[in-house]
Amino acid sequence: MAASVRPALLEGPRPPNVFTRDDLRGATTLDADVVVIGSGAGGATMAAELAEAGFDVIVLEEGRYYQTRDFTADTSAMVRQLYRDGGATMAIGDPPILYQEGRAVGGSTVINGGMSWRTPDKVLARWDRELGLTGIARELEPYFERVERRIHVAPMDREAIGNDNLLLKKGADAMGWKVIGNLRNQAHCTGSNRCAFGCPTGAKQSALVSYLPRALHYGARVYADVRVDHITRDGKRATGVIGTVTGSGHRVTVRARLVVAACGAIHTPALLVRSGFRSPSGQLGHNLSMHPNTKVVAIFDEDVTGWRGVHQAFQVREFQDQGLLFAAVNMPPSILAMSFPQRGAALGQLMQHYDRMVLAGMLCEDTATGRVRTINGKPQAFYQLAEADAANLKRGVVLLSELLFAAGAQRILLPFHGAGELHNADEARALLARDLPARRCEVVTVHMMGTARMGVDRSAAVTDPFGLVHDADRLMVTDASLFPTPIGVNPMETIMALATRAAGHVIDNARRYVS
Amino acid sequence: MTYRHAATTRAVLRSLVPVICPPEAIPLGDAIVDHLELSLAASPALIQRGLAVGLVAYDLGAVARHGRRARALRGDAAERYFVSWEHGATRLQRQLARGVNQLMSLSCYEQPEMMERVGYRPGPWIAEVTQRRLTVYGDDVRRQQAQILAPDPLRPGVRVARERA
Repeated sequence: MAASVRPALLEGPRPPNVFTRDDLRGATTLDADVVVIGSGAGGATMAAELAEAGFDVIVLEEGRYYQTRDFTADTSAMVRQLYRDGGATMAIGDPPILYQEGRAVGGSTVINGGMSWRTPDKVLARWDRELGLTGIARELEPYFERVERRIHVAPMDREAIGNDNLLLKKGADAMGWKVIGNLRNQAHCTGSNRCAFGCPTGAKQSALVSYLPRALHYGARVYADVRVDHITRDGKRATGVIGTVTGSGHRVTVRARLVVAACGAIHTPALLVRSGFRSPSGQLGHNLSMHPNTKVVAIFDEDVTGWRGVHQAFQVREFQDQGLLFAAVNMPPSILAMSFPQRGAALGQLMQHYDRMVLAGMLCEDTATGRVRTINGKPQAFYQLAEADAANLKRGVVLLSELLFAAGAQRILLPFHGAGELHNADEARALLARDLPARRCEVVTVHMMGTARMGVDRSAAVTDPFGLVHDADRLMVTDASLFPTPIGVNPMETIMALATRAAGHVIDNARRYVS
Repeated sequence: MTYRHAATTRAVLRSLVPVICPPEAIPLGDAIVDHLELSLAASPALIQRGLAVGLVAYDLGAVARHGRRARALRGDAAERYFVSWEHGATRLQRQLARGVNQLMSLSCYEQPEMMERVGYRPGPWIAEVTQRRLTVYGDDVRRQQAQILAPDPLRPGVRVARERA
């Protein structure tokens, strides 16, 4: 029986309605009801729902088309292939914030950790109360359910949980802190811990192996290797897109009745700006939230071997109301070595402990916002970590260190340059009194949000509550750009639910949008 | 791949292998520098150019202090010169030293010999868990794949609505 099951759908020859640069050997003009720019959480979901409803859908993706079999143990090759700019994208600020975006068919869902959480009630209540998104919690409920069914959101199988996660839970339990099993879009993940480099087992139900196969099944066409240069328009009405085939430079023109931008919170505002769309709100590109992350590395006396086990099996939720989530995340030795200030023999000695390390990170719900500027047509993020958020990160480092010492850690390496290491919980608590400027903290993120925020008030929001751009016609946004505020949890499921809701709106109003 | 190390970049990076990488990685110096080229090729052009210019400055800056270019420094002299940039007076010096340290550490531990040394053997593990998933959970995996394609319209009767439109 096992011999007849494949790791993922469409594994094998490239499906006939997936096109790559090999198929685009000259200028090409295509027609569709809907063109979706980007194939990640928002774009793939929208494409699948509209294709099933009978719309003629084209998805354009700048990155390449890969299948599960292409995802190997070669970490840096995966980073080069699947990440925009090899993962070396940076928001300018002090400290600068390294952020990552996927660039492949399936978008960032191919490289994310697969955490699948609904938007927290308190966030939806705020959107309802302050932003005029009346009744949004109740309205999103069936869309969350639908998304969770499609991408198989489920807790982890117990036997697949690795030691790093068990130690995190042990520490949280010892501290008496709330720790919950993570919900992830996975179908029996057996724990290769390679989520960030393309799931090689097919267990993670990224858009590549869920929504996109569904979209293709219902007739959508996916064009990989096509970078959209701009959206064409007739006055305020979007009429299609013009793109370029990467590598060859051939032009691709798509004429469509509805244009959907799903390029992520960094690239969507830049695409709209370079296409000449302006928001009366003045908010396009503003309101950038980033969920700043930092990490500590704990060294234990016992074997951890964190790469044998699932990614982020638990989340510590004790401090969620204070904007902090904790989780254990294993990284390959090369990525970990890159994060250490040590070098030479000291680096070698430290890395000898690799299999006894627990890498634990935190997500901070930020209070500051940055912006994306479009410079020569390209986006550049600017983001200054707020003092309050820097203080929260520092507090998070202390709390996480206490947890790890409670689990039996012997040493903890800190994310502050020159701060040295900790040997017990007292030293951890003493950090609070130390002067550790924010600029010395290593901050990274994978959650960019808010740069085309939705709302009913066109003087304050870029799009309406369904993602339709105010002051434009037949132009829609379906990605994390829409979030009016940071949501404090992993954003994938919220993006997918909003995209599903937006697809429903398009279907309900088909005459208006595609006639 | 459009990026290639310039001769100076390659020479300076090669000379930094004993400074940044653990002693056991020194025999892998050429492979590390080759790998670094691959990483830079995927990086933004600004980083490629910044690193190239920075390494020229690093190379020439050694002449005043040590009477020879950085690429020709060995042992303690190479170490002391790198430290002087790690703790340099300018932010650019510090950033260059940190950036090179990061990139070279990445390339160092991407070498199979170095992964083996720290016990990281993901290939066989991936093969094992992939097979386990299909063997133990094959029925569930198949069910999930079937539901992905099964009809489940978001709105009832939508095709009719679409045809009317």
